[in-house]
Amino acid sequence: MQDKVVITGLGCISALGHDIPANWASLSSGTSGIRDLEGFEDNDLKVRKAAQIKNFDPLDHFSPPELALLDRHTQFALVAAREAVTDANMTEAHLKTSGAIIGTGCGGKETDELTYEKLYLDHKSRVHPLTIPRGMPSAASSQISMQLGIQGPVFTVSSACASSNHAIAQAVQMIRGGMIDVAIAGGADAPFTYGLLKAWEALRVLASDTCKPFSADRDGLVLGEGAGMIVLESLEHAMNRGANIYCELGGVGMSADAGHITDASSAGAAKAMKLALMDSTITPDQVGYINAHGTGTRQNDPSETQAIREIFGPHAENLLVSSTKSMHGHALGAAGAIELVASVLSIKEGVIPPTANFTQPGENCDLNYAPNTPVVRDVEIALTNSFAFGGLNAVLALRKTNG
Amino acid sequence: MKQDIEQTLKESIARQKMISTEDITLDSSLEELGISSLDSISLIFDVEDKFGIEVPNEALKKVKTVRDIVEGVDALIQAN
Repeated sequence: MQDKVVITGLGCISALGHDIPANWASLSSGTSGIRDLEGFEDNDLKVRKAAQIKNFDPLDHFSPPELALLDRHTQFALVAAREAVTDANMTEAHLKTSGAIIGTGCGGKETDELTYEKLYLDHKSRVHPLTIPRGMPSAASSQISMQLGIQGPVFTVSSACASSNHAIAQAVQMIRGGMIDVAIAGGADAPFTYGLLKAWEALRVLASDTCKPFSADRDGLVLGEGAGMIVLESLEHAMNRGANIYCELGGVGMSADAGHITDASSAGAAKAMKLALMDSTITPDQVGYINAHGTGTRQNDPSETQAIREIFGPHAENLLVSSTKSMHGHALGAAGAIELVASVLSIKEGVIPPTANFTQPGENCDLNYAPNTPVVRDVEIALTNSFAFGGLNAVLALRKTNG
Repeated sequence: MKQDIEQTLKESIARQKMISTEDITLDSSLEELGISSLDSISLIFDVEDKFGIEVPNEALKKVKTVRDIVEGVDALIQAN
């Protein structure tokens, strides 16, 4: 029989804090990390709100020679991966045979833009010799492998805002298939660069005020940055080494809309949720909490609500559905992993993080979104949704374990 | 000026939706022309670029017809 896959370590850095305790303190109290955008005061950007990581000094974590190779998103990836591995009490020997599957939507944008600035604006004739290894999309997974001594399968997965969930799904399948016993999986992104902010602005999906998922007056998403990492291992491996088990990663569901590039279809989302339930042999009525994709855009929130209603029928009334993007912002390729961390802790602590900044329910947004106040509730099963541009959907199912 | 805006907009729509400019009137609704929200921001970008204006997100949400865009863009140009 196929072995179960369990989560034995967590790491997270986001606008809510630099580690798991700080993130959970904000999530479990409904405190948003969305603030005025900093670092872009002297230009013509219209975006003014952001979920940025504050008081982050790379030198607290890395030596100057190391930093020459570390794009901002790689720094976040390493901080979260180190925390997850320490949390899981992983030895060098365990790590050596592990895999690392890391999602990123943007990759090394900071590195790319600094390079272009030097070439096109400053008219320099040379760029830094480490530009390629620092900026490549696989930089974060490479650095995690090198720094943690991971010698199994290591690669990057990129599917925009679903990158983390696809990466974690891939890691689950490799453990189930017996290829590896342990994997570090998650995602990292650092999208606060001038060019990228301009590009998001042009798409006209950024909130004018703040991120208000499922609310009538929502008008877009607020960008975030950071990384979430988890340690996944087979149940047998975790038991043999006496690991602390947070919960089971019971199932994964993936689908693609084959439709519109930016307007998600509720059918594709519903299919991914259904497949995650089937994969984990869970019936819809067992699910207690859904950490929604919940971007706060006009298009996503009613479409996701409709998809949930389609899959859960009358049981949708009993569900708690919250969007923690209202607190940590939309961290793109890191979003799924940060939200998975939030969901794992929800199951462990019996507290559901709310949808912050909620005002009045939006049209066709009629579920219990845990508005503004955390809810104390024991949950056996939680789903986390990620629906990316391109119509790429990935849903993960978590199951509470005894003890 | 309004004729210039109308012509630019019709040409953008025709190019994007692969239809003839003759099939587009001032009263054509964006919906019947099959213009999605993503199409509309690309169309507005063409007009913004040509006339050196910026259409706020709020204003874009309200437009329903070709005429709405022409009138709105004209007002923005006058205000400049």
